[in-house]
Amino acid sequence: MTKPLIQINHLVKKFGDNVVLNDISETINQGDVIVVIGASGGGKSTFLRSLNLLNVPTSGEIEFEGTNLVGLSEKALDGVREKMGMVFQQFNLFPNMTVLANIKLAPMKVKNNDDAAATAKAKELLAQVGLEDKADAYPASLSGGQMQRVAIARALAMEPDVMLFDEPTSALDPEMVGEVLKVMQDLAKSGMTMVIVTHEMGFAREAADQVWFMDQGVIAEKGTPEQIFTAPKEARTKDFLSKVLAQ
Amino acid sequence: MKKLMRWFMALALSLVAIGAVGAQSVHAADDSLAKVKAKGTLVMGTSPDYAPYEFLVNKNGKNQVVGIDVEIAKKIAADIGVKLVIKQMDFDSLLVGLETHKVDMVLSAMTPTAERKQSVDFSQIYYTASQDIIVNKADAKVYHNAESFVDKKVGAQTGSLQADLVKKNMTDSKLLGLSKVTDLILALKSHKVEGVVAEEPVAKAYVDNDPQLALVKSGWALDPEENGQAIGFTKGADSLVAAANQSIGEIKQQHLIASYTKTAGKYMTQNTANTSMWHYWQYFAKGVGYTLLITAISVVFGLVLGTLFALMRLGHNRLFHSLAVAYIEFVRGTPLMIQVMFVYFGLGLFLDIPALTAGVIAVSLNSAAYVAEIIRSGIDSIPVGQTEAARSLGLSTRQTMTSVILPQAVKNIWPALGNEFISLIKESSIVSIIGVTDLIYQLKVVQTATYKGVAPIFVAMVLYFVLTFSLSKVLGHFERKMQHD
Repeated sequence: MTKPLIQINHLVKKFGDNVVLNDISETINQGDVIVVIGASGGGKSTFLRSLNLLNVPTSGEIEFEGTNLVGLSEKALDGVREKMGMVFQQFNLFPNMTVLANIKLAPMKVKNNDDAAATAKAKELLAQVGLEDKADAYPASLSGGQMQRVAIARALAMEPDVMLFDEPTSALDPEMVGEVLKVMQDLAKSGMTMVIVTHEMGFAREAADQVWFMDQGVIAEKGTPEQIFTAPKEARTKDFLSKVLAQ
Repeated sequence: MKKLMRWFMALALSLVAIGAVGAQSVHAADDSLAKVKAKGTLVMGTSPDYAPYEFLVNKNGKNQVVGIDVEIAKKIAADIGVKLVIKQMDFDSLLVGLETHKVDMVLSAMTPTAERKQSVDFSQIYYTASQDIIVNKADAKVYHNAESFVDKKVGAQTGSLQADLVKKNMTDSKLLGLSKVTDLILALKSHKVEGVVAEEPVAKAYVDNDPQLALVKSGWALDPEENGQAIGFTKGADSLVAAANQSIGEIKQQHLIASYTKTAGKYMTQNTANTSMWHYWQYFAKGVGYTLLITAISVVFGLVLGTLFALMRLGHNRLFHSLAVAYIEFVRGTPLMIQVMFVYFGLGLFLDIPALTAGVIAVSLNSAAYVAEIIRSGIDSIPVGQTEAARSLGLSTRQTMTSVILPQAVKNIWPALGNEFISLIKESSIVSIIGVTDLIYQLKVVQTATYKGVAPIFVAMVLYFVLTFSLSKVLGHFERKMQHD
């Protein structure tokens, strides 16, 4: 039943002499919900952003649905990226457009959907994230939690095959984290393939199929949340968890 | 990249050099008269601020150059059997106009000095006048002749015979050169200079029309050869010179100059019949029209080209990047005035560009460089996250730029762009030097026609302010409309 959606082979990323990703080979299957944890500077975000080539790998392969993305032209990449939704720490909503226009932009420009269809779809997604009343608001009038939910709806509007989350709750006030995690949890239940970089250990425990612990450019340990949180094998995993969970 | 820049510079310089050489070698065989006959027009260049030789009148609502020189030119054209066309330029630019074939001949009360003879050919002398000095009436008793101006400042038209005479014969006086006689008279009235040297008919025209001025004889005994006036032609245009000389011969034989002077005098009294600024509103209206036209076209082209250059500069193509950088730096590093002259006279060697078009091209190209830098700074001010978000949604580079980045950039740079547009209204005034009839040009026309110096300046100043102030209000309205946060 499981088939590989993303196959990562010997992924290396260097910034100058600094090796950020050191020969990573992993498989992400359809329907997987993978939470990537680890200390800051361990390469988590770089890893995630390599998956849709926002960061171009120094070497290695990213196979998505059977095609190696490394070395593809920008034009060919455009076609791939629309199938890989991405949610950013800073939301990155387009401030000059209404919420509705933010969501409709890509379906209309990239998929050539007509306005009526795009609007209907956008309203449906806004309802899904609980913001149907904000369709005509501009981003600046929204709270952080609302903005991030719009950003998720915007990514979903392209009907992606996988959703990448880059620390989606790190820029939020604590009282708004819950509303965003709730949307993500619903999404996970619906069967969406998700790769999530986060510091929310509670979320990882509840929603993840697999937890990957990243340290010094490699996946140091991986397993079910149960394995990682209750019986970590590696010393550095234990060390990290003891620091994070002590808070 | 530096290498590339050097290469471009070399290319630009050699193009100019080729142009210059080309201009020299064109006249190997003299077909000047045949050419004029073939195109059916004889183009005369003149600086119409020198009544009674050449000046402007409003005839049936249209500006028209009239005067003694124009009557002479009409006769020559009629004798050849072609139509006379008059092109207006600054006196300084007339010889360049000849060399670059903007005009076939120059009639502008010009004296065939030895220096000028090196670059152009002259007809025989058609008129000889004595030189006078215009002074303020209050000073008329202080100054008796040129000798009286020791240690004083004296004005003369830049590049004119009078300027040369001051340098040669009034070595104890200081020369102030300005390109317009009207400006010189202003300088005289505000005591920037104590006297203005001009030909007798010109000096008389000013004194007759202004009770505050008086005439002083220079007292110079001048050789008619270095004092008279002749028609300038492109070097080697022998057949055309011969045709002109034949007409001049007839003019002398039939004493036609006297009747030409009478005609000119009639126009002058018509001009000065009513010197109120209201009477000249059409001139100012026309000037405002041209200033707005030049600005509007230049804004559109400047914006389109500027965006293009900004994208080239920001893009990944190294050749385009270097081209854009070289262009922007070069244009920003040279004065607009030079660019206007380069387009009109320089490119004029290869293409016959009308003055208005040349002015619009130069101002547009200039504006593009500044707009490019404004747009670049606007694009740079958009966080990289916006690009990442757009690209991760599958938008192409181009869609990201046009749908996401540029609309936000325009909002950020709107005030700076607005400033550029406003300064364009003011800076476009430089096109008046090649004879485009914008507001500055009309201001000078009204000065010449009314013998009033300050009033037209004041009117033009108010008009410029009304234009820029209204534009800044309109831009402010759009700026507020764009605010969402």
